[in-house]
Amino acid sequence: MAEEEVSKYVTLVSNDGFEFVVLREAVLISPMIKSMVDTKNSFREARLSGRCKFEEISGQVMEKVVEYFHYWYKNREKEDVPDMDIPAELCLELLVAADFLGLDSKKPPPPRGV
Amino acid sequence: MEISKSYRFHLTFHELTSSQRSNRQQRAGRAIRGPHSALTDFLASQNISANRIREDAEARRNAANASNVQTADAGASSTAGNGDATQVAEAEEAVQVATAADKAAEKKRKSQAAAIDKIKKSKAFKKRKRQDEDSDSDGIAEAILAERAAPLPGQMENCEICDKRFTVTPYSRAGPNGGLLCNKCGKELAQDDKDEQAQKKKKKVAARGTARRQVASNRLDGVIGCKSLMTMCISTLVNNIDLADDLGDVPAQIVDRVARQVAKRRILTPMSLNLFLQSGYEDVTVYDAAKLGADDLTRIFQMVPKLKNLKLKNAIQFKDEVMDYLITRQTPLDSLYLHGANLVSEEAWKRFLVAKGKHLKALRVYFTDKHVGDNFTATLKDTCPALKCLKIAHNQQVTDVGIEHISELNELEHLSIQLITPTSTEPYVKVINSIGRNLRTLSLTGESLADLDDRVLDAIHENCTLLRKLRITHSEVMTDAGFVRLFKNWANKPLTFIDFEKCRHVDSSKPRENAHLNGLCSDGFRALMSHSGKSLKQLNVHACRHISREAFEDVFSLEKEYPELENMEISFCEEVTDFVVGCIFRTCPKLKNLNVFGCMKLKEVRVPKGRILVGMPNAMGMEIEGTED
Repeated sequence: MAEEEVSKYVTLVSNDGFEFVVLREAVLISPMIKSMVDTKNSFREARLSGRCKFEEISGQVMEKVVEYFHYWYKNREKEDVPDMDIPAELCLELLVAADFLGLDSKKPPPPRGV
Repeated sequence: MEISKSYRFHLTFHELTSSQRSNRQQRAGRAIRGPHSALTDFLASQNISANRIREDAEARRNAANASNVQTADAGASSTAGNGDATQVAEAEEAVQVATAADKAAEKKRKSQAAAIDKIKKSKAFKKRKRQDEDSDSDGIAEAILAERAAPLPGQMENCEICDKRFTVTPYSRAGPNGGLLCNKCGKELAQDDKDEQAQKKKKKVAARGTARRQVASNRLDGVIGCKSLMTMCISTLVNNIDLADDLGDVPAQIVDRVARQVAKRRILTPMSLNLFLQSGYEDVTVYDAAKLGADDLTRIFQMVPKLKNLKLKNAIQFKDEVMDYLITRQTPLDSLYLHGANLVSEEAWKRFLVAKGKHLKALRVYFTDKHVGDNFTATLKDTCPALKCLKIAHNQQVTDVGIEHISELNELEHLSIQLITPTSTEPYVKVINSIGRNLRTLSLTGESLADLDDRVLDAIHENCTLLRKLRITHSEVMTDAGFVRLFKNWANKPLTFIDFEKCRHVDSSKPRENAHLNGLCSDGFRALMSHSGKSLKQLNVHACRHISREAFEDVFSLEKEYPELENMEISFCEEVTDFVVGCIFRTCPKLKNLNVFGCMKLKEVRVPKGRILVGMPNAMGMEIEGTED
């Protein structure tokens, strides 16, 4: 029954209150967010129709993270993909955020259609 | 007058229905001739008559008027009873003419719609659609139609750009808005286009070159498709390493990855070294210290007082003075990894071991010429009682005597030896007999092992029960029977890493004959896989060329599965066929990399998607990335 009600989108909220509505399938690349919005577990985020607040991530960084989600989603089936543009001044914060969200190549991407 | 009007209607109607008939004939029939200009003659030769065009237009206009008044006319004629017959006929004709004109218009509209449909299917349309995606498809199709309907060669037209009148030729160019251009404007536009195209081409070719190399490099690194955000962040960071003041609170494993990238691009300088030296760090890893001087290396100990794990590669300037400075510090070193530190003298090593050996758990020394020798290993027993990991690689001084000393290191769990001078079997057997029961890793590599025989394998079989990683390479004397004895009923758990590279019979005069089954052959390979297959992650049987095709087919027969295997090296195993490789991919679901250099029987392998096959003997190049589902 829960399967029916799940929204196609999730909302990611940065610490300064910016909200980003992202396709649910696109955020599944992050094991962290995946487990947060997983309907099977009892996280609060799942019940409130996929709203995740990140106290550690600023809006500026979150924007880039969301850009990456779309970049990944768009290119997930392709082979040679051009790199995404990352501004040098953001890259350290983004690095920490990427680590926090588990956006690491060593972990295999989740299977499709999950 | 009315009759003449009706006659004209007749005529036009007639013309409309038999439009194929030539104009010239009609004109001759009517025999009304005026003075002819050259243009009229030319147009006549092209089947165009000004007269006829005028008449057509008039007919259409009249038909339109007639159809408007037709109903009124018809009503009038019926009330008149036996009214004027010509009037009725006229009305009828008008109706006919009107329907004919309607039909013609309808036909024209239909044919235009068909033409637009056709254009929409055409290549030119698709190409243009791709070029400007935002404009709507109908607009493009209409533009193309207008272009095709542009004046034919030989006619006059006003230039779209300069408004000059010019003669259209087959070479007249279309302007930006679909009209035609005069010769001069066309030439200018062509030049612009050419420049633009040349620029584009140049860019594209350059991109293709580097991009292709990058793609190939990525594949060999196992990177397929999207890079992770972290990888991209790290490469951005490394590109701008000069701008970074410090890495802040980035976790240690990420600092390590940054350090690797920095070393890969060889941009680790005394300046960028500071990024990796923070007082809170316990690990310092410098993968390329070639550009650092002795002062920079000393600075490591000054800036990182809690240093526990130090790893320095290409540490050429790690000299006695640096070692002596380390000895004077309180740094509680757990592990030391020194690569290329040639200049540290034997005495300095001894002083270091005496001062710091007590806590030392891991000691790895690579590429030293003279000063790490038998005396060095002899002092380890007394100075480093807690040593768990010892690796001596590419060493020229340690001999059989030195190896025997290792047998006294009772705590040792990981032992790795790669020597240059030839060694014999006995000291290794002694080491394994005395400390084998604790060993997790045993790695014996290098040319010095050519004479290593089955006694080592038997000793491993009897003593080792905790091994996870086993590597014995380059032995030319070990036999297949020895390998079978090792793996059969071995009390050790299945291994995760096995490397028997170049354990094979060598005889340059009769290379194919192997009467005594030297090296790892078919039975040894079967025994190996049945013992360790279920947990094996890495397997290297490079150049074990007496493993038969049957053995490979047995081991990788489809009912078996090797669930953990990720990397496999079967280069120079001569009997490997397309079928065997196919079976390997099917029986090893996690296999990511398979190396098949020198497997000359391979012709055409279908590689599953996401897997990488390296070293196919074909002209395509040396690696294939899978596309099959």
